[in-house]
Amino acid sequence: MTTANAKRNSVLYVVIAIVSLCGLADAIYLTVEHITGESVKCTIIHGCSEVLSSPYATVSGYPLAGVGALAYFTVFSLAILALFSYRIAGQLLLPLVVVMSLMSLWLIYLQAFVIHHFCQFCLLSAATTFVLTALVIVQRKLARA
Amino acid sequence: MKRILPFIIILLVLGVAVGSAYYLKRTSNGVQPLPPSANVSANDASQGTTPVTSGVSAGAEPAHVLGPANAPAKLEEFGDFECPPCGLVHPILVEMKREFGDQLQITFREFPLTQLHPHALAAASSAEAAGLQGKFWEMHDLLYEHQKDWHETFDVRPIFEGYATQLGLDLERFKQDVNGNVVARRITADGSRGHGFGVKGTPTVFLNGKEVPFESLPAEKLRILIRAAITSSK
Repeated sequence: MTTANAKRNSVLYVVIAIVSLCGLADAIYLTVEHITGESVKCTIIHGCSEVLSSPYATVSGYPLAGVGALAYFTVFSLAILALFSYRIAGQLLLPLVVVMSLMSLWLIYLQAFVIHHFCQFCLLSAATTFVLTALVIVQRKLARA
Repeated sequence: MKRILPFIIILLVLGVAVGSAYYLKRTSNGVQPLPPSANVSANDASQGTTPVTSGVSAGAEPAHVLGPANAPAKLEEFGDFECPPCGLVHPILVEMKREFGDQLQITFREFPLTQLHPHALAAASSAEAAGLQGKFWEMHDLLYEHQKDWHETFDVRPIFEGYATQLGLDLERFKQDVNGNVVARRITADGSRGHGFGVKGTPTVFLNGKEVPFESLPAEKLRILIRAAITSSK
């Protein structure tokens, strides 16, 4: 890798870490909404109550948003480790964000065709995942160049 | 140092994440006291006065109140007739009123979530219009008990007018009042009061000025809270 590419690579890891923090904040908010039962109420935030109170919002009794928070935290950790030259961390990023993107696509499908309601915070999470995936793909290409 | 720096950063972020989750949970879950001015206005509203203190509206006057003003437990509900969870809480509040009698006062405040429920405003207007003929609580009960009958109907007016006829109201006056200024002002006043307290959804219930978390609204939990409120006021 050239010096210029290495610098770009580092910048990309920083950007990935920052974007994953946005996703983490969003997922934490959704998890707390789920746990406190606020999502079961009818709320001004249109759609989130319908989505978060649906059976698809839990995995074996655990809030799905919590799993999302864990995933974003893992992306953040891997990006930081990769930034500090832990090479294996950078290689693990791609499969992780691809799985997250597939999961997001499935959740968008559920909101559109099964629950028939969209939750803005869930859509924001999906958008964050797609941005992360794009960034990681660009980073991998740079790393190979 | 460079080898452990990433782990320090990760641990720091983990700490901030857990801390903010805990803070969020505490602020949205705990029984939160209303500002002192809110307590004053809640009590005074039930007595027919119209104080507006510290920017928190007293709500519509006179408020829709069940039970005596000197009841030791005062419960104020911000509700939306089209909201399904409100429909579920309704029989619980009826049960609580039957159980605690004059020791419990219940106030209903209109909080129609018009962005979420297309008929919420029409339902609130119908209840208020019935109230102008002294039949608010009767209409309130009919709207909640038959929520599933009108919730998905395109035109709810004939249904609500049917309820008005069933209650023996002057139908012509009811039709005028539903679209009248008095009803609109009452709903706006209750909404302002809710917004002043930071109400974001329905049902939001306050017991002696403290918000009751949604998960404490099942009868067995609410009963304990009301009992505690009565005991602590003695």
